[in-house]
Amino acid sequence: MADEFIKGFAALMVGGLGWMTIAGWYRTPSFEGAQLIGEVTVEEPTVFDTTALLLMDAFFWFAIFGCLTFWVVIPLFGELRAYLDERSA
Amino acid sequence: MSDNESDDDVRTDGSGSGIVAPDDETPSWSERKQRTQGLSRLTYEYFERGRREDQDLRQQSDYVERDVLAFPAWPHEMMRNLALTSFFVGMILFVAAALPPEMPNPANSGVTPAIILPDWYLYWSFGLLKLGPLNPDLAILGGQKIMADRTYGVLANVVVVGFVAIVPFLNKGSARRPVEQPFWAAVGMSGVVFSLTIAALSIKNLIPMDSHLLFDLTFLVPIVSATITYAVLKTMREGYMFTLNRRYYRLRPPK
Repeated sequence: MADEFIKGFAALMVGGLGWMTIAGWYRTPSFEGAQLIGEVTVEEPTVFDTTALLLMDAFFWFAIFGCLTFWVVIPLFGELRAYLDERSA
Repeated sequence: MSDNESDDDVRTDGSGSGIVAPDDETPSWSERKQRTQGLSRLTYEYFERGRREDQDLRQQSDYVERDVLAFPAWPHEMMRNLALTSFFVGMILFVAAALPPEMPNPANSGVTPAIILPDWYLYWSFGLLKLGPLNPDLAILGGQKIMADRTYGVLANVVVVGFVAIVPFLNKGSARRPVEQPFWAAVGMSGVVFSLTIAALSIKNLIPMDSHLLFDLTFLVPIVSATITYAVLKTMREGYMFTLNRRYYRLRPPK
């Protein structure tokens, strides 16, 4: 159980750090305005910009789904399997 | 350890009085529930089992002669400390390089800002200077105030800091968790909440709320939070069994 916790936590932290970094580059137009969730203001996105924006979303959803998987889905699955085993036994 | 030992020492291998089950005979939860002695028995078995596992570890260990099983400072502890230090230094370098903060214009020393505020961690003290409405008008002085509002605010700082200073003398801190002393936990919670509400009072012109209501809430919310804390902890004591845990070393098997 502790292993599942630290896996989910690692997913949350790695994904969060990656998302925060790229969102700080692309979605923080001004230091005093919206932070990390501002509008993307890239005129002509190069290959690097496109890749970075894709990676930003990938990191974000990795953080969300990573921790959800290890903290909710896998324990639920285990509980379900234990319940079914107990009922069939 | 074998089951054939017949000495009169206290046996912890599961034979004898049957207090601690051998590993392959650990009772299931439903079997435990069927036992009549119930909770006290279960607690005793729980601690006795932990004690026995400690004993087994000590007897099987290479460090038989030593009192404490621990890791040596070099290299184990040092490796861990270096790993942690490297991690945090790496994070500082990464964030500083990847997300450098913007450097705004330098402050203009010739212009007084519209709103003068101290740094955020001094808001509570700044708020204590705004307690003018509490400064009593004394009837015997013909409605005059006995001291100026600013003097009163400074004295409020002295009172609050003085109270924080005498708390360690009133309570020695023998409780290891809040449920053991709900009253003092409630005092602590009211202090924490008061430090927040008084900080909110100090920036009352920035808070979208009637300033009189904010002034009242500054003193009411800490009292409410202390009451809630006390009630919750007092209720938790029931299920927490902390008196039982406190008597761990004096525990005897129930007859």
